Amino acid sequence: MSELAAPVALLALAAPLVFALRKRVAIAAVGTLCALAGAAALLILAPETHGQVLSLDLVLTPLARLAAVALLGILAVIVVDVWLDEPAYNLFPTALGVGAVVVAVLLLQNALATEAALLVGLLLPVGSFTFQVHRNRSVEAAIRHFAFVSLGGTIGLAALALAAGLPHDQPQSTFVLLVVILYLAFALQLALIPFHTHAALLTAEAPATALALSFGVLTPTVVIAFAEILTDTGLLPSIVQLTKVQDLLLGIGALSALGGAILAVGAADLRRLVVSSVIADLGMAVVGVGSFSGPGLVGAIVIALATGASATQQLLAAGTLERRAAGGPPRAARAPLAAAAFVCGGVGLVGAPPIVAFPGHFFVELMAYAFASWLGGVLVLATLLLLLAQLRMAIALFADGLPSWRPEPRPIAGIAGMLLFAVLLAGGIAPDALLRPIAAFAEEFLHAVRPL
Amino acid sequence: MVLLAGVALTTLIANSAARLRAMAVAFLAVSIAANAIAAGATTIAQLAVLAAAGLAASGILFVAARDGDYGEDPEWRLWVATLIAAVATPAAFVSFRSADLSATSLAAFMPVPSEVLVEVAAFWLLSSGTAILVTARSAVRTSLGALLLLTGVQLLVRLAPGPQLELTIGIAWVEVVVALVGAFLIVNERAVRE
Repeated sequence: MSELAAPVALLALAAPLVFALRKRVAIAAVGTLCALAGAAALLILAPETHGQVLSLDLVLTPLARLAAVALLGILAVIVVDVWLDEPAYNLFPTALGVGAVVVAVLLLQNALATEAALLVGLLLPVGSFTFQVHRNRSVEAAIRHFAFVSLGGTIGLAALALAAGLPHDQPQSTFVLLVVILYLAFALQLALIPFHTHAALLTAEAPATALALSFGVLTPTVVIAFAEILTDTGLLPSIVQLTKVQDLLLGIGALSALGGAILAVGAADLRRLVVSSVIADLGMAVVGVGSFSGPGLVGAIVIALATGASATQQLLAAGTLERRAAGGPPRAARAPLAAAAFVCGGVGLVGAPPIVAFPGHFFVELMAYAFASWLGGVLVLATLLLLLAQLRMAIALFADGLPSWRPEPRPIAGIAGMLLFAVLLAGGIAPDALLRPIAAFAEEFLHAVRPL
Repeated sequence: MVLLAGVALTTLIANSAARLRAMAVAFLAVSIAANAIAAGATTIAQLAVLAAAGLAASGILFVAARDGDYGEDPEWRLWVATLIAAVATPAAFVSFRSADLSATSLAAFMPVPSEVLVEVAAFWLLSSGTAILVTARSAVRTSLGALLLLTGVQLLVRLAPGPQLELTIGIAWVEVVVALVGAFLIVNERAVRE
């Protein structure tokens, strides 16, 4: 077994241990954090970049290293928040399982194996979605999530198995159908519009930290996996010749970007605003991938990672604001630092400068305009609507004014949010460190689109 | 052809079962029939993994039922799911068949290439699973639909080039995780109802 598999093995082995100790919250939390830090260190210091498990190839690309460390970091922030602010002992083993899946997805080079790992990862948070089942509809929400993700994952696996097994001299209609099924599979897994109904119920019923696990960590992983799977399947040269397929991908992306932004404008509470904004941003990321261009793909991955961090920041802050409001409307006066973190997270989700999300949005909108002016227009409109939605919620949060700038007691979500914001800000000030590994993957993607 | 009929029949029994324990046993029968149909393209190691996964998944659902009465009556959904599967299977086969049928007679009692049987069985399971999953009202039939879909995927993977044993193990793990998540949701759903 390759040394590259060590971080996955560490996280996967730590998960059952932490599960056994989960009711001793402090021990479970520290153990989880140690395992996450250990896995990140193994990835950063890995002496080799290629390896094998049985006969499955593992490759630690610069993008895999960057994304894995970033996503494990987001997981660590969620774990700290759960430990110190919102004890939910089921989340610790789930976080480790999700971490193992994220690293495996980023390292695996086989499309079928990647999709299988992704499906396991998307199913793991179900255990964290259900809580106080007699008082809410969290079980119903979890069942819907289970159904959507299982359907998306399995039809994705079937499409990939067919793509690998079919002879190359297929009629165009077969390829179109296959790629359409693959796109639908990812749209189901990403909760893109019109497959977002389960996300709406989940948003209302699941704990904020479990939502952060799903929308902050797994959603960016699905976007990156989508681009990697397209690269690995060898379907890209056929896809780019079919304008219908590209139109479909851009259409699904644009619909989701605009639809998500409209939902965000009408969002009645903090969580719905966050999840609708994530759906809108994912739509933009899908447009970036669908442009089959270097800048578009770089933009898509930057948007996915920045959206994950910003969504986590806002969801953790929303959880704190809701708890402090004790049933009333959430107000900044009760948790000023959490409110500030929520507003800063909104800046990231809108993709405003100087946050690192800005170059991502800029690249994707640029490529959208290059493809068709209506498409660029739709994305700009979606961004403006997101800005409006976030401003509206920020004004509502500060509606009662702020008697004092003193942070609330135990300002865990506020500090965690500000930490994530600082990282996104640093990335915006010096984007080279983030963009270079993503650009290296974009080059590989373009090579798969037009092989020599 | 007999094995293909076996896959279809066991799927219909699983689909029509109103009790979870009967459904779990029927799913085990589906798994056995599906693996038997693809036995020619399967190594002993793969068969062992597939048998273990099928047994584990049906065992998990059987235990999750807690008693013989719990389940979900499919009512009219049984016919909708069967009709969708009956229409979608030939359509999918015509669109995606990889086997060369030019020299093959599909008349009754004539030998049919095993690849064709595996593909037809896979498309039947995929379309049945999708129809059951889409029309499910509770975690019981949602779990059955997801497991049938994965059984169909296992058949398609056997026809695809690549690291067969590794992919079989990977998807077998997915099957067990789906059964565990399904069982967790079934137990929680029952707690809410009762």
